[in-house]
Amino acid sequence: MENDNRLQFESPSFYHRIKGMLGVDFYRLFHTPLFYIFLCIAAIIPAMVLGSTGDADGANLYDNTWLMVAANTPLYVVNNIGEYANMNMVFIFGGVMVSIFIGHDYKSGYVKQLFTTHAKKQDYMISKTVTGAFSMACMCITYLLGTIVAGLLIRADMNVNVGSLILAIISKMVMSLGWASLYTLLNIIFRRYFGISIASSFFLGTGILVIGAAAIFSNSPILNIFLYGASVYACLSSTFLTFLVCLLVSLAWSFIYNLLGTIILNRSDVY
Amino acid sequence: MNAIEIKNLSKNFKDKQAVCGLNMTVPLGSIYGFIGENGSGKSTTEKIICGLLIPSGGTIKLFGKDYCDIDVRSKIGVLIESPGCYQNYSVWNNLMLQAENLSIPDAKKEVGRVLKMVRMEGSASNKFKNCSLGMKQRIGIAMALLGKPRLLVLDEPINGLDADGMRIMREILIDITKAKTCSVLISSHILGELEKIATHYGIIRHGKMIEEMTAEELDSHCRTYVSVKSSNLDELKRWLNKKYVDVKQSEDSIRIYDDINPEDVVVYLYQHEILVQEIKTEKIGLEEYYIDLMNRKVTK
Repeated sequence: MENDNRLQFESPSFYHRIKGMLGVDFYRLFHTPLFYIFLCIAAIIPAMVLGSTGDADGANLYDNTWLMVAANTPLYVVNNIGEYANMNMVFIFGGVMVSIFIGHDYKSGYVKQLFTTHAKKQDYMISKTVTGAFSMACMCITYLLGTIVAGLLIRADMNVNVGSLILAIISKMVMSLGWASLYTLLNIIFRRYFGISIASSFFLGTGILVIGAAAIFSNSPILNIFLYGASVYACLSSTFLTFLVCLLVSLAWSFIYNLLGTIILNRSDVY
Repeated sequence: MNAIEIKNLSKNFKDKQAVCGLNMTVPLGSIYGFIGENGSGKSTTEKIICGLLIPSGGTIKLFGKDYCDIDVRSKIGVLIESPGCYQNYSVWNNLMLQAENLSIPDAKKEVGRVLKMVRMEGSASNKFKNCSLGMKQRIGIAMALLGKPRLLVLDEPINGLDADGMRIMREILIDITKAKTCSVLISSHILGELEKIATHYGIIRHGKMIEEMTAEELDSHCRTYVSVKSSNLDELKRWLNKKYVDVKQSEDSIRIYDDINPEDVVVYLYQHEILVQEIKTEKIGLEEYYIDLMNRKVTK
């Protein structure tokens, strides 16, 4: 009985658990070349697109630099992929990055080490979502820098409503949270198959499937309730309402995806 | 209260039943040797205890609480197969990350402590991928020891360890269980090594616990025998069978399990012109007991 008295277990608080897990994830993020490679990719893309010629006359694809950040008005249905070539592309490449990042957890066996401790499945989902959202938000910034540099180099038109531009950029950065939670969920579902995880993030994220599916709804604002729609809604005519819609949609979907991911992890074998 | 108490545990993988109706009790402060053939359900059971697999049925209590309780989980150290480390990070960084996960307050001091325990202080800056198999296992053990756990679950921790590594491992396990504040569940195929440290045993077969016993009980089960070697084993066996009741042939000797004096055997064989090359008294160890038990179950 003497031994029993000494068996006191401390209950780790949510703050301590999530702090530890975020600490590990952010350490990994800043110490992996992957993160910096994707930041560079995000910076190079606008330069490549802006500098490319759009037609036989040699005219540029975009005559205004800021069209590389967002369209003038929401373009839910794109007629060619060029129309989609703005900051939304960050969400596609971000999906690949999140997939590789989470995939390493399973490949290295780190999850085995993690889930045998006090870590809750819900903490894992939150931590990966926050890290993924942060990395995508950083990619949005390097994308913006790449756009500015490329715009200045090719001397493209820089006229824009600054307020709307800032709101559009912030709204797209806010959307990172929702997208990151979707990619985290997809990686939880396909966690045993690294390749399928990446492919699913690419195609089921902002990839071809979603863009194609949007055509069913046509150019309808009802699409704003989805991640894709809200991301497109953040355009160069954005208002504060746009930001609010993006924030709410992003939070709502990240809650739903996190909940689904937690349920899947709680009800299935982890490793 | 027991460290682990499992009742009627089962686990199905599609059409395969890996564990069926397993009962297991690991007392506080014990070193519980978990033995079984490949695919008998040892690792599956350990993974369930650690929360990596969801059981299909049954109950698991750790220190009297549900095994999913995070209070208890924060005090479990685990090494399942191999340590889950990032290949490109140093040994130190991998341990620091795990310490961070465990919310250990003075992480640097704790990592230094466990590295010292496994005699790896000098290799802290090495990249994990450059470590040998034995070193990786030691890192895994160090990782499991972080935060002074109350329960250690070790799946094949001795694999790849050299003689020195096995000795260190033995010393650590005996040391941490001495004060009865830590209990150890350890599975291994190296039964000779397990026999040196285990205080309790559990033998599993086809997902069912076929025998649980203490080291003392094993000792009482293990009979002593007289082993005799001669150039003509057939002739030797023929004469021994005439006088003794329980005579069995092993690889290169004949064993007499009767309670006898070896000198009498030598005299008896000399009288029948059988030249004895070697004669000694031995005791059945865990390995032989286990093999014998398995054979008995197959025969049944």
